[in-house]
Amino acid sequence: MAIIKVDHLTKTFDGKYAVADLSFELSAGKCVALLGPNGAGKTTTIRMLSGLLKPSNGTISFEGMKEGGDIREHIGYLPQYPVFHSWMTGTEFLVYVGQLANLTKQQASELAQKYLERVGIADAKNQRIGKYSGGMKQRLGIAQAMIHTPQLLMLDEPVSSLDPIGRREVLTLMEELKETTTILFSTHILSDAEEVSDDLLLMHQGEIVESGSIDGLRNKHQTTKIHLAFRENVDTYLTKLREIPSISEAHLERNEIQLAVSNIDHARTDILQIASQENWPLTKFEVSRTTLEDLFMKVVKR
Amino acid sequence: MQWMTIFKKEMLEYWRNFKWIWVPLVFILIAIMDPITTYYLPKILDTVGGLPDGAVFEMPETPPVAALMMSLTELSMFGVLVIVLTSMGLIAGERKSGVAELVLVKPVGYFTYITSKWGATLLLVWVSLIIGLLTSWYYVNLLFGDISFAALLQVIFFYGLWLTLVVSITTFVNTLFRTPGVVGFVSIAILIVMSIFNQIFSNKVTWFPNNLSSHIGDMLDSGTISGDLWGTTFIIILLIISLLFASLLTFRGKEMAN
Amino acid sequence: MEIVELLPILAPIIIIEAILAIVALVAWFKTDETNGPKWMWLLLIIFIGVIGPILFFIIGRRQQ
Repeated sequence: MAIIKVDHLTKTFDGKYAVADLSFELSAGKCVALLGPNGAGKTTTIRMLSGLLKPSNGTISFEGMKEGGDIREHIGYLPQYPVFHSWMTGTEFLVYVGQLANLTKQQASELAQKYLERVGIADAKNQRIGKYSGGMKQRLGIAQAMIHTPQLLMLDEPVSSLDPIGRREVLTLMEELKETTTILFSTHILSDAEEVSDDLLLMHQGEIVESGSIDGLRNKHQTTKIHLAFRENVDTYLTKLREIPSISEAHLERNEIQLAVSNIDHARTDILQIASQENWPLTKFEVSRTTLEDLFMKVVKR
Repeated sequence: MQWMTIFKKEMLEYWRNFKWIWVPLVFILIAIMDPITTYYLPKILDTVGGLPDGAVFEMPETPPVAALMMSLTELSMFGVLVIVLTSMGLIAGERKSGVAELVLVKPVGYFTYITSKWGATLLLVWVSLIIGLLTSWYYVNLLFGDISFAALLQVIFFYGLWLTLVVSITTFVNTLFRTPGVVGFVSIAILIVMSIFNQIFSNKVTWFPNNLSSHIGDMLDSGTISGDLWGTTFIIILLIISLLFASLLTFRGKEMAN
Repeated sequence: MEIVELLPILAPIIIIEAILAIVALVAWFKTDETNGPKWMWLLLIIFIGVIGPILFFIIGRRQQ
């Protein structure tokens, strides 16, 4: 079931497209990674979904939200660089934003306590936020996004500014949170996306270029490749290889020939046959499988 | 209620950053400086011995009303300056630092956000004004002669409206820019332009807000509230309301993130 | 007229200035970050009466 539906979402800054004609749906209970290189439009997208930026065009509709309703009631948001009132304590800040999200003071206090423990900074709850480390602030940021139990939790680059330890802690926390909440988080690091998310939205230059479940995408883009190296006259063999029907693509990379094939068994037979018939000076024959990384790189370089 | 939540948070902030202590104290100093120096200057000069023997330093007697009006003159200068400088980051500061991004992503109405912060500043300003003028009134009664407490209350009420207008102007400018320094500069520029305008046209535009002090002076002299004072009050209240709604409109048009 | 006679009147002013300076010192002590070197603000608060503390309160601290 779709929890949020985005239709033709577009944002321009001074006539330039930051986000161009984005349409997608998020299903309830999934953890979705918005993956893309820097400048792809991830932050702009998340800010529009959170109501902080006004779309130049397009609509965002929330499951169960009335016409003219406030989108902000349904979402929790953590900016890439969350800034707090440094003179407040962690508890005070959570109670403050909890009340802003229409909780009573009593409810806000209880939930603040609960989430401070949940994100693991209960020991520092009465310390001034000014004294918190980067990882602690990030976790307080997640707590403030969760305090009013939103239907959708949006995290903008939640781990990119953290050191390896903080990063591990926050990723583990996200693993736990995704059991109960729908999460959309942006990242420019594929491995982070692969680690915690179910679904992937791959973004580049303001557009979604690929989307689907991680496993689905892996299968879809998992093509088999054959790498060939020759002692000499690589170009001649490249032309010949291109004529073999079981090879869908062939190109030269670092003096090696890379072949994309649909059926590895047919291709291997074909290649080895012609190679032995014509006595090719083969120095390497290697079979490998492409990964999402390759897909990501292909998209980014395009 | 969200309005009270933000209001209380501002109150707490004013405690933590000592505004609740230093702003009233500074208002007291501003309010009493002039009456006290006016009274003691001749005597101080005498004590220090700046005058040759036999020379008599004659100063015209200052009536109590004139002495109290000195406080208003100083408040209109330095008090207003303090108000603008302390409230130039009211909204701009939160937007610039990025806290606003966390606050406004919660379902808070923009009008609630603006007016609760405006209200918090007003409480600070009014309390400071009351304390400052009470002290000044005490000294004026001691040194220059009687002014009734009822008259003082009237002065506080009407003059407080002028300071409310100042806060409203600064609040409005706060919604225009996101750098507190720019907000302070533009607010002061607006107040200076208003003051110059008033100096040129005060005879023609008697209800202009900056004329309020002179109408208050007339009220103290005559003991009655003139139609001009009511008129000016009316204009000021109208301006305050318009500024608040203008703030809402400009704020709505702004993106809450850059 | 003696300076002693002025004291009852001037004492409140002096007390207010003293409170301002003390509160400014407390605030100075608790502030992590100042605009400009922190020691400079200490000198301003101590040696420039009234204006020093007020300036510190208004522009001395880096706030969030």
